[in-house]
Amino acid sequence: MSQKYKYKPEPALVEGDHDFGSITKLISDIPQQATPKWWYIAFGISNMVLALLLGVVTYLIVQGTGVWGLNKAAGWGWAIVNFVWWVGIGHAGTLISAILFLFRQGWRTAINRFAEAMTIFAVMCAGIFPAIHVGRIWVVYWMFPIPNSMQLWPQFFSPLLWDVFAVGTYFTVSLLFWYVGLVPDFATMRDKVKGKWAKFTYGLFSLGWTGGNRQWQNYEKSYMILAGLAAPLVLSVHTIVSFDFAVSIIPGWHTTIFPPYFVAGAVFSGFAMVMTLMLIARKLYGLQDIMTVNHIEKMNIIILVTGSMVGFAYIMEFFIAWYGGVEYEKFAFINRATGPYAWAYWIMTLCNVISPQFFWVKKFRRSVVMSFILSIVVNIGMWFERFVITVTSLAQDYIPGAWAYYTPTLIDVLTFVGTFGLFFTFFLLFLRFMPMVAMAEIKGVMPQANPAFYENDKMADLAKGPGEQQTGKER
Amino acid sequence: MSNENQRTYWKSLNELAQNEEFVKASEREFPKEASELKDGLSRRNFIQIMGASVALAGLASCRKPVQKILPLRQQPEHMVPGNPLYYATSMPFKDSVYGLIVETREGRPIKIEGNPEHPSTLGSTNVFQQAATLELYDRDRSRHILQGDQQASREEFEAFCAEQFADTDQRIAFISEDSSSPTYLRLKQAVLDRFPNAEWVNHEPFSDENRLLGNEKAFGQKLRTYHHFDQAKVILSLDEDFMQLSDNDVENVKRFSEARRVKSTEDDMNRLYSVESAFTLTGSNADHRLRVKAAQIPLFLNALAARLSESVDGLEAYRNHTNEFSQHAWISVLAEELLNNRGESIVAAGMDHDSDVHATVAAINLALGNAGTTIAYLELPHVEAGDQNQRFAEVTRRLGAGEFQSVVIMGTNPVFTAPSDLNFAEALDAVPVSINLSNHVGETARLCDWHVNKTHFLEAWGDGYSYNGVRSIIQPMIQPLFGALSEVEFLNMVLNGEYTTGYDLVRETWQSFAPQDFEDTWATVLHDGLQEGTSFPAVSVSLANGFTEEAGQVLGQSTPVDEEALELVMKVDSRVYDGRFANNGWLQELPDSITKITWDNVAQISAATARRIGIPDERDFGDLDAHKIRITAGDQTVEIPAWVIPGQADNSITVTYGYGREGFGRVADGVGTDIYPLRTTENLLFHSDVQVERTGEQYAIASTQDHSSMEGRALVREASIEEYRDHPTFAPDMVYIPGEVDEKSISRYTLFDPQDYPENEPQWGMSIDLNTCIGCHACTIACQAENNIPVIGKREVHREREMHWIRVDRYFSGPDEANPQVLHQPVPCMHCELAPCEQVCPVAATTHSDDGLNQMTYNRCIGTRYCANNCPYKVRRFNFFNYTKEYLTTGEDPEVVQMAMNPDVTIRFRGVMEKCTYCVQRIQRGKIETKRETDLKKPADGTVKTACQQACPANAIDFGDLTDTDSQISQIKRNERSYLMLGELNTRPRTSYVAKLRNPNPDMA
Repeated sequence: MSQKYKYKPEPALVEGDHDFGSITKLISDIPQQATPKWWYIAFGISNMVLALLLGVVTYLIVQGTGVWGLNKAAGWGWAIVNFVWWVGIGHAGTLISAILFLFRQGWRTAINRFAEAMTIFAVMCAGIFPAIHVGRIWVVYWMFPIPNSMQLWPQFFSPLLWDVFAVGTYFTVSLLFWYVGLVPDFATMRDKVKGKWAKFTYGLFSLGWTGGNRQWQNYEKSYMILAGLAAPLVLSVHTIVSFDFAVSIIPGWHTTIFPPYFVAGAVFSGFAMVMTLMLIARKLYGLQDIMTVNHIEKMNIIILVTGSMVGFAYIMEFFIAWYGGVEYEKFAFINRATGPYAWAYWIMTLCNVISPQFFWVKKFRRSVVMSFILSIVVNIGMWFERFVITVTSLAQDYIPGAWAYYTPTLIDVLTFVGTFGLFFTFFLLFLRFMPMVAMAEIKGVMPQANPAFYENDKMADLAKGPGEQQTGKER
Repeated sequence: MSNENQRTYWKSLNELAQNEEFVKASEREFPKEASELKDGLSRRNFIQIMGASVALAGLASCRKPVQKILPLRQQPEHMVPGNPLYYATSMPFKDSVYGLIVETREGRPIKIEGNPEHPSTLGSTNVFQQAATLELYDRDRSRHILQGDQQASREEFEAFCAEQFADTDQRIAFISEDSSSPTYLRLKQAVLDRFPNAEWVNHEPFSDENRLLGNEKAFGQKLRTYHHFDQAKVILSLDEDFMQLSDNDVENVKRFSEARRVKSTEDDMNRLYSVESAFTLTGSNADHRLRVKAAQIPLFLNALAARLSESVDGLEAYRNHTNEFSQHAWISVLAEELLNNRGESIVAAGMDHDSDVHATVAAINLALGNAGTTIAYLELPHVEAGDQNQRFAEVTRRLGAGEFQSVVIMGTNPVFTAPSDLNFAEALDAVPVSINLSNHVGETARLCDWHVNKTHFLEAWGDGYSYNGVRSIIQPMIQPLFGALSEVEFLNMVLNGEYTTGYDLVRETWQSFAPQDFEDTWATVLHDGLQEGTSFPAVSVSLANGFTEEAGQVLGQSTPVDEEALELVMKVDSRVYDGRFANNGWLQELPDSITKITWDNVAQISAATARRIGIPDERDFGDLDAHKIRITAGDQTVEIPAWVIPGQADNSITVTYGYGREGFGRVADGVGTDIYPLRTTENLLFHSDVQVERTGEQYAIASTQDHSSMEGRALVREASIEEYRDHPTFAPDMVYIPGEVDEKSISRYTLFDPQDYPENEPQWGMSIDLNTCIGCHACTIACQAENNIPVIGKREVHREREMHWIRVDRYFSGPDEANPQVLHQPVPCMHCELAPCEQVCPVAATTHSDDGLNQMTYNRCIGTRYCANNCPYKVRRFNFFNYTKEYLTTGEDPEVVQMAMNPDVTIRFRGVMEKCTYCVQRIQRGKIETKRETDLKKPADGTVKTACQQACPANAIDFGDLTDTDSQISQIKRNERSYLMLGELNTRPRTSYVAKLRNPNPDMA
C-alpha cells in the first residue's frame, strides 16, 4: 500500500549560474553596448518598409479606397483582415502579463515585457486599418463621441463604435501596464548608464524610483490592480472585435460562437508571434538562460490548447450551420470548404488545426526549430482565418445575383507588408533602448528571492535533476 | 451700387472659378441674340440660355469654389427657379417617333418621360429615350461646320449651297436615314422636284424593310405591321424581339404586359412561344422557348404553315410541304394553339429574317384571322418603293462609277454601317463634292468635303409620325448647344441655298394639316405633343394574286440546313443599337439584359459550341476573362471575345453591331469590337457558314452579374398559373417567417424598438410585379438620369463596383441547362423598417425618416462600408473613387455634361455610400405641393411616382402610401402573391414583390 512519492521540483526558471547581479548585467548591458551591426541592417530594412507603408497609405488617401480590391459585395477586404489579425496578435501581451500574473505563473516573467511591447506595437499596426479604411478619413473623428453644436452623436448600436472603445481601452491599459512594469527597470538603467542624456531620459521615465520598501509595496499593489483591470480586457477586446461580424446579419458572420472563438484564436496567434520574436531575440542576445526550453514548451502547450479550441470552433460552426437549418448559413460554410475560396479555407485548417498537433510530441514541443517554424505557420493560418471569415461571407451572401469575387490589389498587399515595417521599427527600437526582460520581476522568481534561500549552489543542485546539472552549467 | 455688387453669388461644384460656358452664355445674352427677342419663339430661347447658366451655377452642393452668376433681368413667364417645367415633344428613331414629356430645369432638359397621351409610349420609355438627355449633353458631338478640316461658318456653308446647287440639272445622290417627318418628306419632295436628276435613297442599316417587303409579297403593298399584343392570347415570336429591339417596343411591352397582368385567380394571361437562336429579351420572357439555329427558323415556319394549311384557307402554297421540322413536337402543339385562338393570336418574325419569312408570317396571320383583330396593317405615307438595301447598293455602285457630281449624306453613317463589299468609302471618294450632316464627326463625316453638325432632337424643331401614325411635334427644349442645323434646316439650305429656321419650316408643313384656325391647333399640338385623331390608315388586306405560286417557288428552293455548320447572326445591340448611341456613357454602362455585360459586345455561344471551338464551356466564379475567337466569313475576319450563354442554339454565334469605334467620341472609342466588316450585301444580318478558331488570347469583360443560379433560394418566386389557382398564396408560403402570428402579419419579435411613425405622415412602399417585369433595364437608366448616378467606366465595372441604384438580377433556372428559363428581378433598396444597415453605421449616417424611408445622409457618411456589408440585398453603392468628379469635371468643357444633372439631387463625393432613395426629391416635391394646395400631409395616390416606376414600360413597379388603404400600392400589397424577399430575416422591407406566373401549355409539360 505504501507508495514512495518522489519530489519532482519544477525546473528552474532561470538556468545557468546566475545571481541577481548577473541577471541585471545580462539585461541592462544590452542597451549599453555598442549597437550590433545586424540591428542597423534590420532597422534600415524596417524603415524602408515603413516608408512603403506611408507611401501606400498616402496613395490610398489621395486616390480613395478604390485602390484596394474591394467591390460591391465585399466592402471589407484585406484592411479588416489585417486589423483583426494584428489585434489578435496583440492579445498575447496582456494575457501573459495580466492573466498569468494573477494565476501566479512565474514563468511569465521571462517573456512578459517582450510580449507587452509586441502587443502595443501590434495594436498600433491594427489601429491604422480602421482609420484608413474609411472612405473619408478626414472625418474619421466622427466615430468618437465628441460633443458638438449639432447634438450629433455616434450611433451607439454599431459594433464599429464598440470597437473604437474596446481597442482604445485595450491600447491605453496595455501601455499603462507596460510602463508601470518598466518603472523599476528604468531606474536600474538610470543607475547603470553612463551617458548624460541617457541617464536623464531613463531617470525621467523612472519617476524617481529608489527601490525603497514603501515604493515596492505600492508598486506591487498598483501592478496587481492594473493586472486585475487588464484581465477582462483580454477577453473583451477580441470579443468586441468579433461582434463586428457576429452582430451583423451576414451568413458566416452571424454566429454566437464568435466571441470565445475569436479570443482563443487571438491567444493562439499572439503566443505564436511571441514565440517567433522570442526565438530570434533569445538567439541574437544570448538570453537562453532566461528564455529556456521550458518556457518554449509551456508556450507551445498554450498554442496546442488554443489551436485545438480554434479547431473545435471550426467544427462547431459547421455543426450549428447544419443544426440551425438556415439554408444561407449552411451554404456559407459548405461554400467555404468547397467554393471558390476553398484554397484559403484549407490553408487555414492546415495551419491552425493540423500544424499545432505536432506539439503533442514532447520532442517537438522542446525543439527550437520546430517551434519557430510552427509559430510562423500558425500566424499564416490565423491570417487566413480572418480572410476566410471576412471575404468568403461577403463575396457570396444572400442574393447570388449580387455576388462578387474579391481579389486584392498590389496596394492591398503592400499596405499589409508595410505594417511590418511599422511593427519592426518600433520593436527594434524597443530591443535597443529598453530592458527587454523584466529584471525586477525575474529576480523575484529566482531561487535567491526565496527568503529561505541559503546557499546558492546547493539549492540549485537540489532543484535540478542529476542529469540536468551538467547541461545547465555548460550553457 | 456698382455692377459688381448686383451680382448674385452661388456656390457650386465646379472647380473652375471662371466658367467658360457661363461666359459664353452671358455673352450671348445681349449682343448676339438680342435681335431675336422680337419674336415669341426666341424669347423662350433666351430664357433657356439664361436658365442654363443659372442651373450651371446651381449644380449641386459642394465645397469651396464659387461661381458668379447674373440674375435674370426679367422674370420669364412660368419659370420659377427650382421648379421643373414640362414640355411635350417626340424622339425620332428611324422612321417613327416616340411621344415624350421632357422635364426642364431653368431651361435645361434633364429628364425624359413618356407622354401618357401619346400611344407610342403611353407614359413610359425605353432605355434609348431615357438616355437621350445624355446624348444631348454629349461633349463629343460635332460643334462646327467643317470644310475639310477647317471650321466654317453657317454663312459660308449657305453661300456654298447657293453656289453648288444652283445647277438644278446636276446629278446629286441623297443618302438619308429613315425619317417619318412630314416636313422632311415635304422638303424631300421639293428637292426631287427641283433636282430632276437627283437620286434619293434611304440607308438605315436595321430598318423594317424585310417586313414591309414581306407584306408586299403577301398583300401586294408595302404595309407596316402593327401588333396589338393586348388582344392576343397566343403569341409566337420567331426571333422577333418585340419587347426591346423592335420599332415600337414601348407600346408593345405596354400592351403585352396588360395581357399578362394577373390580379386574382380569375384572371387569364396570354401565352408566349418563342423560337430563336439567341436569347432575346422577348425569348427570356416566353412561356415556352425553343432554341434553333436562325437558319432553321424559315424551315420551322414553313412546317408550321404546312400544318396550318390543313385546317385553314390561304396557305395553299404550303400544303403538303414537309421538312425536318414537320414532325417536331412544337409544330402540332403550336398549330393547335393557333387554330384554337384564331383572331386572338399573333405570329411575328424578327427583322433579321428575309422577306419570304415575313410573307409567310403575313399569310399565316391572315389565314388565322388575326389581320384586323390582333394585327393592323398600316399604309405608310413615306414608304419607298423597292428594296431599300438593294437601292442603296445600286446607288453606291453608281457613286463609285463617278455618275454623281455630288452626294449629300444626312444623318446616316454609311462608311461605318454599309456592307463591307460595297466599299462605300471608296465610292465616296469618287464623288467630287460630298456633304454630310451628322451629330458626330464620325466615320462618314471625316471623309466628306463638308460636314455640317446636326442638332439633337431636344434642341431643334421637327415633327414625325409615331409607329401607328400619330402626327407628333418635336419642339426644342434648349437653344442648340453647339449652334447646329437640324435636318430640315439643312435640307432646306440645300434646296434653297438660304437659311430658314426649323420653326418656320415645321409650321409651314403643319399649316396644311390644319388649314382652319391653325394657330389654335398649333398651340394644342405644342401642348399635347401630337395632333389628336391622326393615325395611319389601316388597310383591309387580302392575299396578293400570285402569292401562292411565288411562295410555292420559294418553298421549292428551300434546302435543309446543315446542323453542323457554324452560323453567325449579326444583330443590333441592346445598348448602342447600330452604333448611333455608342458615345453615350449611360448606355455603354448599362448591362445587357441577358449577358449582363457592359462596355463590350461579345460573341454569344452555347456551351456545346464552346467545346467545339476549344474554349472552356463554363467560367469559374470571379473569372471575368473571355477567350477571344477569330470569326472568318468570306474574306473578312473579326476577333471578338466569346461568351458562353445558356439558351443559345448550338452551332450558332450571335454578335452585335455598333462597337469598335475609332475617332467617334471619347466614350465610344476602343470599346468592343467592330463587326461591320462581316456585313455584306448578301449577308446583311446572317452568315450561314463561318470559320471560327480560338486565338488563345484572353480579354477582360465587365459584367455586372457573375453568378446566374438562384441556388434554390426563394428570391424570385414563381408558379404556373394552374399552380397559382390551386394554391393562391404559394409565394408567401414558400418561406416560413419566424414569429409570424397570423396571415400577412410581420414578425413581432425584434431586438430593436420598432420606430413609431407619426399618424399624419404617409408611409411609402413599393411593389415590383415580377410577372409583368420583362427585365429591360429602363428603370436602371431612368434612375441613373434622375439621381445623377455617375458613369464609372469599364475598369471599375470590371472590378464589380457599378453604381446603379436599381439593378436587374437575371437568373437562369429550370431543368434544361442548355435552354433554361430566365427570371428577371429588379432590386432597388428595400427600405427595410428594421434596416440592418442602420444598425451598424457608427455615425448614424443612415437612418429612418418619419415617412418610412431608409435615408442616407451623405454629409454624415464617413464610408466604413459596414452598411453595405450588412445589407442582405446588396443594394448599397460606394464611391470608391471620386467618380462624380471624374465624370463631371474632366475634359476642357465639363459644363456640358454638368447640364444633364438633376439639381434636386445631391452629387455624391468620394468615400460616401449611396443607394436608392425612393426618389426622395420627388416625394418631397409631392408633399410640398400637396401641403400647399390642400394643406394635407399625405399626397393623393399617384401624385408621387419614382423614376423607375414612371419609366417602366410594363408598369411592373408600383409605389405609394401604405397608410392609404385604398391606394394602388396597398391593394397590391394585399395581393395573395405579394411576398417579401428575405422576409424571414425580419428586415421588414417596404419593397415587396409580386410573384411571377408562367402560363405553360399543359401539352408541352
